[in-house]
Amino acid sequence: MENSIKFVFSNYRYVVLCAITTLALFFPLSIISEYLYLEPYFIFSIYDETAFNFSLIVILSVVAGIVVSMNVFRVRLVKDAKKIGSSITGTVIGASAGACSCGPIGFSVITTFGTAGSIASSFLTNYEIPLRLLSIGILLLVLFTTMKSLSLECKINQ
Amino acid sequence: MIVVALAISFTSYLGQFEQTTTLSSPSSDEMVTVQSPVLGSESASVTIVEVGDYQCEMCKHWFDNTRQQVIDNYIDSGKVNMIFIDMPFLGTDSHVASMASYCAADQEKYWEYHVMLYEHQEGVDSGWASNERLKSFAFTLDLDMNEFSQCLDSKKYYYQVKLNLDKSMNSFGIQSTPTFLLINTSGEQQQIRGAQSYSVFERVIESLL
Repeated sequence: MENSIKFVFSNYRYVVLCAITTLALFFPLSIISEYLYLEPYFIFSIYDETAFNFSLIVILSVVAGIVVSMNVFRVRLVKDAKKIGSSITGTVIGASAGACSCGPIGFSVITTFGTAGSIASSFLTNYEIPLRLLSIGILLLVLFTTMKSLSLECKINQ
Repeated sequence: MIVVALAISFTSYLGQFEQTTTLSSPSSDEMVTVQSPVLGSESASVTIVEVGDYQCEMCKHWFDNTRQQVIDNYIDSGKVNMIFIDMPFLGTDSHVASMASYCAADQEKYWEYHVMLYEHQEGVDSGWASNERLKSFAFTLDLDMNEFSQCLDSKKYYYQVKLNLDKSMNSFGIQSTPTFLLINTSGEQQQIRGAQSYSVFERVIESLL
């Protein structure tokens, strides 16, 4: 099954796609979670108590990058896009968990939706770590099933 | 149906304080903003205006990691001073916590109470800033409990804190907490948004001195 990863990433285009997806998630997630600031200077601001959360963002971004590129490979190979939905779900949960309630996104949600927004924002902030872990779990599950189906489908196609 | 639900929710948010209080219309004295006492020298070259919420997680990160270094290196030496303006938007307890801080200010313990609030911060509206806890903080700081309780229970600073929130959002356009405005005596100013590290504050302050 692990051969399916080597098989996909032996093509440099999927390595590039993986890197782009990872970075495209990592920077926005770091900004909305307020670990990366662009003003007045480009700087990461990570404290001891936020280091674990930040490492989850790194893991989430890398796993999402691998999952997306493997699914793109799979879609092109067997024209089946079923697993894309799960990987999007996992990524969205991970991304929304990080939208700090004190930040501009939390502020907009609270001022627009009032009490409901405040409750939702508080929930996402208070349960940030479990939600991120859930998100990574979903992505790992999608990765596992993608690897499994790729190894089967590749054998069938051979 | 979703629109109706959102409209009801928004209305209830706006009215949540009014539902729990029986305040009369604000007097002219109550229609002015309040601010903290100045922390540091009145004649400092740079003033840091922190706009924050006592329930904001990022404000606590800044409080725990950066604030003391700014105090040690700039405020204690008289180069910089600091004030705090409330923008209590995160939950119902945010507003009450801000009011309590001004009740402590009446007894000249604003900054001690401010520190107490951030040191004991927990989840938004989780009960850590309930009326009873706020009074227990005051008791710990050896405040006159009769005076403090009367101030808090009568919601003495309700309108002023509400005005702070409105001004921060609408007049100053602040959309997140903590936000810091750093202003020097020449009128030059810079803004730092978020719980940024000490190195950022050091660079900005040095550029303004």
